[in-house]
Amino acid sequence: MDTLRVLIVDDEDDFRETIVKRLNARKIQSEGAASGVKALEVLKDKDFDVIVLDVKMPDMDGIETLRHIKKLKPETEVIMLTGHASVEFGLKGMQLGAFDYVMKPAPLNELLDTIGQAYNKKRGLIH
Amino acid sequence: MLKKLAAFSRKFFFLSQEEHDPVLEAEEMEALRLTFKSRYHSFKLLLAANNRILEGMGDIERALQGNESFSMSFVQTHSTAISVNVFRMINDMENIAPGKYTALKDCFVAIQKQIDALLGARKTIVDRRLVIPLAAVNSDMTDLVGGKMANLGDVKNRLQMNVPAGFGITAAAHEMFMQADGLQREIDRLFQVAGSDEDRNLDLVSSQIRQLIMAAEVPEPIYLAVVDAYSAMKAENDDQEIKMAVRSSAFGEDAENSSFAGQYRSELNVGFSQFFYYYKQVIASKYSVQAIAYKLSRGFRDEDIAMCVGCLAMVDAIAGGVIYTRNPLDSKDDAIYINSTWGLPKAVVDGNDLCDLFVVRRDDELTILKREVQPKEYHVICLEGEGCIRAATDDEIANQPSLSDEQIRELADHAVRIEQYYEMPQDIEWAIDDDGKIFILQSRPLQQMEAVLPGPELDLKRFEPSLIVDGGINASPGVACGRVFKVAKKVDILQFPEGAVLVVEQALPTWAPLVARAAAVVSEQGGFAGHLANVAREFGIPAIFGVKGAMAKMRNGDSVTVAADLGQVYLGNIGPLLEWTRPEPKLMLGSPVYESLKEVSRHIIPLHLLDPESREFAPQNCQTFHDITRFIHEKSVVEMFNFGKDHSFSERSSKQLHYRVPMNWWILNLDDGFSHEIHGKYVKLEEIASIPMLAFWEGFAAIPWDGPPAMDGKGMTSIMFRSTMNTALVAGVKSKYADRNYFMVSKNYCTLSSRLGYHFSTMEAMVSERSGENYLGFKFKGGAADFERCLGRVHFIREILERYGFRAVVNGDNLSARIEGYDMEYMIGRLKILGYLTLHTRQLDMIMGNSGLVTYYMNKLTKDIDTLLP
Repeated sequence: MDTLRVLIVDDEDDFRETIVKRLNARKIQSEGAASGVKALEVLKDKDFDVIVLDVKMPDMDGIETLRHIKKLKPETEVIMLTGHASVEFGLKGMQLGAFDYVMKPAPLNELLDTIGQAYNKKRGLIH
Repeated sequence: MLKKLAAFSRKFFFLSQEEHDPVLEAEEMEALRLTFKSRYHSFKLLLAANNRILEGMGDIERALQGNESFSMSFVQTHSTAISVNVFRMINDMENIAPGKYTALKDCFVAIQKQIDALLGARKTIVDRRLVIPLAAVNSDMTDLVGGKMANLGDVKNRLQMNVPAGFGITAAAHEMFMQADGLQREIDRLFQVAGSDEDRNLDLVSSQIRQLIMAAEVPEPIYLAVVDAYSAMKAENDDQEIKMAVRSSAFGEDAENSSFAGQYRSELNVGFSQFFYYYKQVIASKYSVQAIAYKLSRGFRDEDIAMCVGCLAMVDAIAGGVIYTRNPLDSKDDAIYINSTWGLPKAVVDGNDLCDLFVVRRDDELTILKREVQPKEYHVICLEGEGCIRAATDDEIANQPSLSDEQIRELADHAVRIEQYYEMPQDIEWAIDDDGKIFILQSRPLQQMEAVLPGPELDLKRFEPSLIVDGGINASPGVACGRVFKVAKKVDILQFPEGAVLVVEQALPTWAPLVARAAAVVSEQGGFAGHLANVAREFGIPAIFGVKGAMAKMRNGDSVTVAADLGQVYLGNIGPLLEWTRPEPKLMLGSPVYESLKEVSRHIIPLHLLDPESREFAPQNCQTFHDITRFIHEKSVVEMFNFGKDHSFSERSSKQLHYRVPMNWWILNLDDGFSHEIHGKYVKLEEIASIPMLAFWEGFAAIPWDGPPAMDGKGMTSIMFRSTMNTALVAGVKSKYADRNYFMVSKNYCTLSSRLGYHFSTMEAMVSERSGENYLGFKFKGGAADFERCLGRVHFIREILERYGFRAVVNGDNLSARIEGYDMEYMIGRLKILGYLTLHTRQLDMIMGNSGLVTYYMNKLTKDIDTLLP
């Protein structure tokens, strides 16, 4: 398998750092960004296959960040992290090009499954 | 308000009829209405609770026949549901008749205590150990370490099979964790804030609670106990670090018919440094959306489920899988089914790939009956760091059998021994390490179903053109139809329509919450041993797995028929398939769970209070929940009756029925008994909305009365006749014989107090769409003739009522008859009969001495009644 690169965007340090660590322990190259603005900065210089993006962040929220990401790197798959799933939210995120969502606190194996699916899509394995 | 009611009773009791009519003031009328409403409301609640109790007892009795399998949680759920509803009935009764039956509470507490002692329901944990090494665990310790670990302890310590080293983190630890920093209190608060079960936003609550748990600190005593247990394991392992599998072992999980399959977490290949992170994830999974919804739908109480956690040394498996010691889809098939794949058993359980299936006969040689070797393109292996990965299988072994014949037999032998030990079919997870050693990782009861083969009359030839899937694996039997809805991502779950056919690429546990809402499931991957297959069988949802190209072949929105037993899917609704039903499942007499239910049911089901008239019929003699239920039900009906009897009202506060002409029937609207507000003095029949009253009236007015029997008392009875049927009665003209007929009505309720000449009758009815709440009571007393003849008539009426399904009892010259629980149409029919009899039995006491005439009237009346019924 090629090395899968993942960016975790969340203002909650504990959550972000733990996930990054756990993904790296699984040979998934990952790093974190503490805000939407920082994520966009990182994206200027680096490519990622999958971005995990918290919906609720100060300054620039997840939806806004998603719009920018899709303009900047349309081929990157984005998974939304949310505190609650509703049909409207789901549809809105997907309309803006997100791949899927995972509910916080995002149990690791669930997050991994979804990251795996998103990666497969990016590589054209599924449609 | 109650004082007022009592005052009404005193003031307006019927017997004062000789005096001028009492007049209720508007304000008093309003109070009467309010009282009625509140009692009526309590009464309805009481009946609803009564029905749930009867249903629950019905379920228990059915279970005690032993044909269906059930789990401890069934026992728990049903006894809890019944006791909650008995308690409700006691409270409702208190509202209806305050202070009158307080002794019931003591009986309830006494019975509940006995049941609790049997079930150990709210048992406080006596053993305070936080961690128990697996070597010291056995199946008596379900309350300490959860079912999964307790069973595994037996396999290791009593059956002496290979089970990885490990330990269980106990219910006491879970309690400590949840109590620390008021975590549980905060969780309860979040639940409360979120509102009732129906309208809370499950996603939001679940997310909040799980984040709370993840953010909590593991209390130091737990931390130290785990470190100790781990250090001991490490010492046994030449001081080498050990990777662990961290798995849920919750109360109720893995019981026979509540699988909780795939709802709780387990994490494989965890290094000890990360252990507590995953421990918390497992604990938090008790509050996953699926788990909360499942607990609700299956009636588990949150506080009853302790999340124990099992920790086992990771087996770096060469091959692994799941054994069913019998065929789950056919209870007559006792062959052993071994599902196997390369690598960890996770691939079989998760259902995202195909796996091998070996079937072994239960004979001395353990003959291998079948070898279904599948292409195993992926397998799951441990990563070097932590976690595992689904990796592509080397081409040269992908199509090779994952087990040798010798291994197959060895596994079958394990299966037979475990099953013998538990005396029940088992679902066993196993792994083989690179030394070829077999490890048992889990063993839990297996639910078996009855196989249903199509009869010879089922000819599907003409449907062949619409056959779109054939040769799939039957993962859960049955036939269903619905519209295709393909699900690939979690976001699709949000839009899944109730009753659709769920079509997926992989049979992942993630889709479990959809299964209960689906008509059927079709998956490209997966076999019958996965979590999702378990869930489908648990909920009785037909499922076909291993259907190549299903996602491409099936189109969203198409209506299809899924015939799981045949492994086929047809386009459209295939009638002959849908008619094909399945019979009863298997036996479980004598199992420990069965015995528990039997014990518990002794405090629930036997009925000692049989005769409401006897002196024994008293609260202090209630020995079971059934007794309490019976007692309250009887008394509540009596109390409601008394409402009609005790509260008369004057013509001024009520409306006079206008049916062609003004009738001598007076109607008090208690609630919604009229179709609109009536202002004048009269209410027309067509303005009445009370279903039971209209039915009664239909019977009353259907067939004209012939007049009194020819032989007696013409002068007197003709007056009576006129006064009832013909009545342009002038107010104020009251003869001794005047009839007084009072209805109190609401839409679904009506009472009638009727005094026709010398006899007195009351009727009360509740009739709605909810059959369980329907009832009809009728009391009849007295007559003008001598006692013998009166008695004759009472028995005459009883005989007719019994013919038409009433339960009737005669006591002196009192007749009381009842009927309940039937559907609306039936109840309406019975009301018509009462209406008819009210008119047509009058003065029949006069002929009771003449057997010829008695026969004549019996024939006439029943013939008439038959014309009234549909």
